[in-house]
Amino acid sequence: MNVLTSRWLPHAIFAFAAFAMPLVFSGNRYFAFIVGITLLSVLWATGMNLLYGYTGLMPLMFAGIAGISAYVTIGLSAAGWSFWLAMLVGSIAASLVGIVLGLPSLRLRGFYFTLCSLVIQSVITLAFVYFVNLTNGDVGISHIPLPELPGGGQLTGTSYELVLAALTVIGVVVLTLLVESGFGHRLIAIREDDGLAETLGINVTRQRLAAFFIASLFASIGGALYAPYVGFVSPRSFDVLVSLNIWLMVAFGGRGTIWGPVVGAVILAPLPFLLQDYYMIKDVVYGLLIIGVIVLLPAGIVGGWKRKAAAGEPAPDVAQKTAPAR
Amino acid sequence: MTLLDAKLVSMRFGGVVALSDVNVHQEAGETLGVIGPNGSGKTTLVNVITGHLTPQNGAVLFDGAPLLGRKPFQIAAAGLSRTYQSVRVFSELTTRENIATALLDAPRPLPSEGVAETAEWLGLTPRFDARAGSLTLYEQRRLEILMRLVQQPKLLMLDEPVGGLSSAEVRATINLLSELKARCTIFVIEHTMKVIRELADRVIVLVAGEKIADGPPAEILSDQRVIEKYLGSVDA
Ligand SMILES: Nc1ncnc2c1ncn2[C@@H]1O[C@H](COP(=O)(O)OP(=O)(O)O)[C@@H](O)[C@H]1O
Ligand SMILES: [Mg+2]
Repeated sequence: MNVLTSRWLPHAIFAFAAFAMPLVFSGNRYFAFIVGITLLSVLWATGMNLLYGYTGLMPLMFAGIAGISAYVTIGLSAAGWSFWLAMLVGSIAASLVGIVLGLPSLRLRGFYFTLCSLVIQSVITLAFVYFVNLTNGDVGISHIPLPELPGGGQLTGTSYELVLAALTVIGVVVLTLLVESGFGHRLIAIREDDGLAETLGINVTRQRLAAFFIASLFASIGGALYAPYVGFVSPRSFDVLVSLNIWLMVAFGGRGTIWGPVVGAVILAPLPFLLQDYYMIKDVVYGLLIIGVIVLLPAGIVGGWKRKAAAGEPAPDVAQKTAPAR
Repeated sequence: MTLLDAKLVSMRFGGVVALSDVNVHQEAGETLGVIGPNGSGKTTLVNVITGHLTPQNGAVLFDGAPLLGRKPFQIAAAGLSRTYQSVRVFSELTTRENIATALLDAPRPLPSEGVAETAEWLGLTPRFDARAGSLTLYEQRRLEILMRLVQQPKLLMLDEPVGGLSSAEVRATINLLSELKARCTIFVIEHTMKVIRELADRVIVLVAGEKIADGPPAEILSDQRVIEKYLGSVDA
């Protein structure tokens, strides 16, 4: 198949950009670091999109799950494990926790689930503060060693960003494949009407928990890689504000679309760095963005653009009688 | 052959007794009608049989296997399908996507020629790419039926399938349902007596959660008790 006409063309362009940016900025560690954090944010936003965009649940404990994975990975590495094995175990463990934390979604819908996830996130943060011997509490853990490389040496600098780019590209491709599979269609049916989905034979419980596992894997892998990349973690690295930040990227870009959250993350992740000198207005900008998204862009940038494009087409249904309200 | 056998089903909501010791029996191929005033427990009966509610008492056998305790998705997989009293489709998805969703976990999915043929029969082919929410109520009612038929259920429970339709649409629906009888067994709740009179082989009457009559439509619809308790109160 010709790659230029293929539906994978956007992915190819994204992959090119994701690998090019770290190389372009390889001469400037500060800018390269912003690129790395942006790539991680794309990975996280893509994972949250599976739950918020495609399953219809707003998981505010997302950062907490990333944190569990980060602390487990750090702990196992410190115990002498290879970073990569530690990351594998940490990610799977945190994702299993993610399934457990997703259990309330079987009972609670919409706002009530969101509220519950907020409470869960708070409990996780408290646990990070409380279990000092594992997390070093509020002081945090610094000088986190870099991942080792198979041939000796450490993953550092531009090569770290290239690894982040690779995982982010894989994440976006995986989400695309999932969304277009029967699994993705089941999730969309559950998002639209879970009762009807169940009546049509869909095992809603199993699909929801599978979505939690997979989204938590995105959170966890990002969390495990975040820690050595930044070199420092504390409970604040994985608190509710981080979850809200990722949520904002998904909502701002356009939930339930592949590229919306990517665009949202690319725009919003560098913002705190660019606004660093304007510390006072940073929070104001974020507040305004949240309100702006909710009021002006309920479908996000990409979602709103898609809707506009659809509205521009001749609508065959306008003349039809619509169903009376019952 | 017995397809559905519900015995002594009782369902209470707090103090409200929605069903008390109701027995329902249906043969394969037999069209069973259910009538009764509003709030008499008709929808609750469907909810209990299809696993949406767990009754305090009773047993339900479908195709020889017990249903109570099984989840709605498992009951759907066993070949028992239901529609809702107020129309329910995935309104943000297209007609085609609605049908595809119904096929996802169907244990005996209709092959694609069959799907196309059934959609054509129900007059939905021209609406395949329309958003289901933009369809007329009558089209949505037919889409609901199509989404069940592509699963080839053994028993289809319809909860007031002509509710809200015009008299011409009711007429057309009766014709569709009478043709449908050749495809699967039908259990139909209806207020519109025309539907029951023309379609049902047997009728049960629920009043305040109790079954007060069970028999052929001609007999039931002229039964003095039924007329007093029910038919007097609605336009028959
Ligand atoms: N989920 C529920 N919770 C509480 N009460 C219910 C519920 N479902 C039905 N009921 C009550 O049970 C009775 C029977 O309702 P229903 O089965 O919907 O009647 P019908 O379908 O015959 O109009 C009514 O009094 C109704 O209010
Ligand atoms: Mg009812």
